[in-house]
Amino acid sequence: MGNWITGITDPLFWKSIFNICYNQAWFICLTLVISLGVALLLKQVETGGRLFRTIYFTPQVCSVVVVMTLGVYMVGPSGPIQTFLLSAGVLETPVYWQFDERITMPMLAMINTWKWFGIQTVIFLAGLIGIEPALYEAAELDGASAWQRFWNITLPQLNPQIVFVLVTNVINGLQMFTEVFMNFDLYGGMKNQALTPVLYLYGKAFDRFNMGYASSLGLLLAGLIFLLTLVQLKLVQREID
Amino acid sequence: MTSNVRTSYIIKTKIQKNLSRWLTYLILTIGAIVVIYPFFYMVMNSFKPGPEIAHDPLSLPSTWIVRGYVTVWKTLNVVRLYGNTIIVAGSVTLLNLFFGSMAAYALAKLHFPGRDTLFKVMLGTMMIPNILFLIPTYMIIYRLGWVGHFRALIIPGAIGVYNIFMMKQFMQKIPDEIIDCARIDGCGDLGIYLRIILPLARPVLITVAILTFMGAWNNFFGALLYLQDNPDKWTLQLGLYHFRTGIPTENAEQIWAATTGISAPLILLYFILQKQFMKAFAEMNLK
Repeated sequence: MGNWITGITDPLFWKSIFNICYNQAWFICLTLVISLGVALLLKQVETGGRLFRTIYFTPQVCSVVVVMTLGVYMVGPSGPIQTFLLSAGVLETPVYWQFDERITMPMLAMINTWKWFGIQTVIFLAGLIGIEPALYEAAELDGASAWQRFWNITLPQLNPQIVFVLVTNVINGLQMFTEVFMNFDLYGGMKNQALTPVLYLYGKAFDRFNMGYASSLGLLLAGLIFLLTLVQLKLVQREID
Repeated sequence: MTSNVRTSYIIKTKIQKNLSRWLTYLILTIGAIVVIYPFFYMVMNSFKPGPEIAHDPLSLPSTWIVRGYVTVWKTLNVVRLYGNTIIVAGSVTLLNLFFGSMAAYALAKLHFPGRDTLFKVMLGTMMIPNILFLIPTYMIIYRLGWVGHFRALIIPGAIGVYNIFMMKQFMQKIPDEIIDCARIDGCGDLGIYLRIILPLARPVLITVAILTFMGAWNNFFGALLYLQDNPDKWTLQLGLYHFRTGIPTENAEQIWAATTGISAPLILLYFILQKQFMKAFAEMNLK
């Protein structure tokens, strides 16, 4: 019983919840926009679409350890992106993103977007191909602009795919561990900027051997995920009605 | 006059169409470069001397060296890491195919009381976040004395509800008539499963095999939990993780050599079997 109260009043636990929500907000927005955009482009392509899909899928096959090793160097202060931006004069000083609490999580979300956008693209593409062409033809006859067609036909028709992507993102994303474990200490860095709930739980269980407390944290997190999933499904259902 | 206007209109739309097509390809190509560049960078830097990576990360190697690969080969027990990973990922995949297909057959084609309830309960467990099972599973495996052994990863991973679900959905589409015919000809359940269901379910078995193998090959968290204290049992992911932290910048080429060596086989396999991989990913998500 004491574990519960400690858990609910533990500022570090809430900090980790905040961090992961911050991360997921970035990740979900980035992947949604990018993979929907790429899917729309791929739908128009007649030749070479398969080649592009194959390429976009490659990061999917690599493990999180490999992707994080790559990604962290790519966006790091001595990596190619910052070297390029520095020489081009866009950046004045190297950005040590792992120590800057405002951009740590967005950067991790960016690396994860690079890894995962391919699979969402394929999901959206399958959805786009399934939309009746007659709907677009009718709208065109009525003089709807491209933007109106996208907003009033494409998006509502893609609803099942979008819901699926959002729900799986939340369930998997809130349990992020390897990404932060590899690059930060068990407290997620000096300012706990990269502390995620599962990392915190892992530290409590396997570093401090406080299994009871870790179990309570696990239950709290699971409850939260469950609640968020329910809210998402409810919101979507209301939209359909 | 009108025909003139019309032709100019047609030409205009044609130009517009061409332009938008080139723009589409341009954006897609930029995307492809963004995806490929890190891999290119990884392979290039694995052939570069460490200090050069630090000073000039963008350049091609001025001298091509394989020192990184040689050192990785000497310091990391690469053969053992590969062997361990193949043992774990291979067993998990085979066990999933074996148990999963049998369970799916029973759920799809056999009639027994409580079948649908059982299936619903199984589906319900998929909604529970994995994190809830972390500590209890660890405690059980710890008490069994399995920590530090492959079975800590293999046995809990032997059955995947999602795999059963995918296989069941597929097997349901196999017509009952074929099964009835076989039964009239004196075929038992085992015979039907082995001679009819399994050959017909080949596509979904391949999908499950690919997804399971990839998941097990890339599983870092499980290896960290159970195999951490026993370096003889480390898998590739765990090996790379430990290797990565101990390398100073002047030997950075070793990191890239190790990363290349570890990710290359799966990427190659992906390019060879890309059709099957694509299908597997697409099916995984379309419930």
